[in-house]
Amino acid sequence: MTSQAYLGQPPHLAVWFINLFTAHQNAESIFGDLLEEYSYLASKSGVTFARRWYWRQTVKTIAHLFGSGYRAARWSTTAAAVGGFLLHRFVSGLAHKLLSAVTDRYLAFWSTHFNAYLWVLKGMMPAHLIASLCVGCVTALAARGREMVATITLALVLCALIGSAMVWVATHLPGGIVGSCGHSLIRSRSLLAGQSSERVDRLR
Amino acid sequence: MPGRDYLGEFEHIVVLALMRLADRAYGVTVRQEIEFRTKREVSIGAIYATLDRLEVKGYVRSRLGEPTPERGGRSKRFFHVTAQGVAAVTRTQHAVQSMSEGLDLGFIRSYS
Repeated sequence: MTSQAYLGQPPHLAVWFINLFTAHQNAESIFGDLLEEYSYLASKSGVTFARRWYWRQTVKTIAHLFGSGYRAARWSTTAAAVGGFLLHRFVSGLAHKLLSAVTDRYLAFWSTHFNAYLWVLKGMMPAHLIASLCVGCVTALAARGREMVATITLALVLCALIGSAMVWVATHLPGGIVGSCGHSLIRSRSLLAGQSSERVDRLR
Repeated sequence: MPGRDYLGEFEHIVVLALMRLADRAYGVTVRQEIEFRTKREVSIGAIYATLDRLEVKGYVRSRLGEPTPERGGRSKRFFHVTAQGVAAVTRTQHAVQSMSEGLDLGFIRSYS
């Protein structure tokens, strides 16, 4: 038998998603309203139906909150996203410059320890991910109150650029390079992860 | 021009729902009222995004109620339409009425 306590629990992941997008002044009423209707539907039509309804509400609510969040602070959100994009470019370039400087300086060492050099190259991927996480955090801090809107805008811009690059590479160059574009897509997701951690940390 | 705005389609529907519900108007009842009357599924996010916009324009006001156990100890946010909001609804209704005056809407439906 389903207990009342279980009926009263909407999907945790859906709650977490809504929490990321909801402004603080609306959070209490939105979660209260959703929980009230969820409990009613769960007791009337069953938990499965209620959970499905909750997820449908989550997807539509996030779309509306994203749209209204962007419209409410169009310029500051765009500024945060553009700033994040430039910072991302700067940080990525910095990592490459650092690698070039190190390889140039210790050229004799790398020529005798080629495996170590390969490990350094492999280490660039996690370094990029960490850099993207940091950029996500900085963008979220800059767009205080609209973290999710700014970082999703930035991630969408990066994904669009990477997508265009992948199409260009696929049509103009032989295969193999497309894989590196895949890494870039992962990096744009790291931006969002960075933002989420910043927001969750702030909500605590 | 400010203060002479017309309401958007969904804003219009939400304000009418608030007027119908009077002092019982909060997220759940507004959503259910709109679903019941328009036969379309509405998300709670759409309701709050619209109500926030209307509140900024000064057409609605909100107040927090008492926390209730069925809402996990969270408060209801009750909304009511201001005099400015009533004026905006009247203006919008008049505009729609004057635009549709003399039109055979049944003919337009069958024609399209």
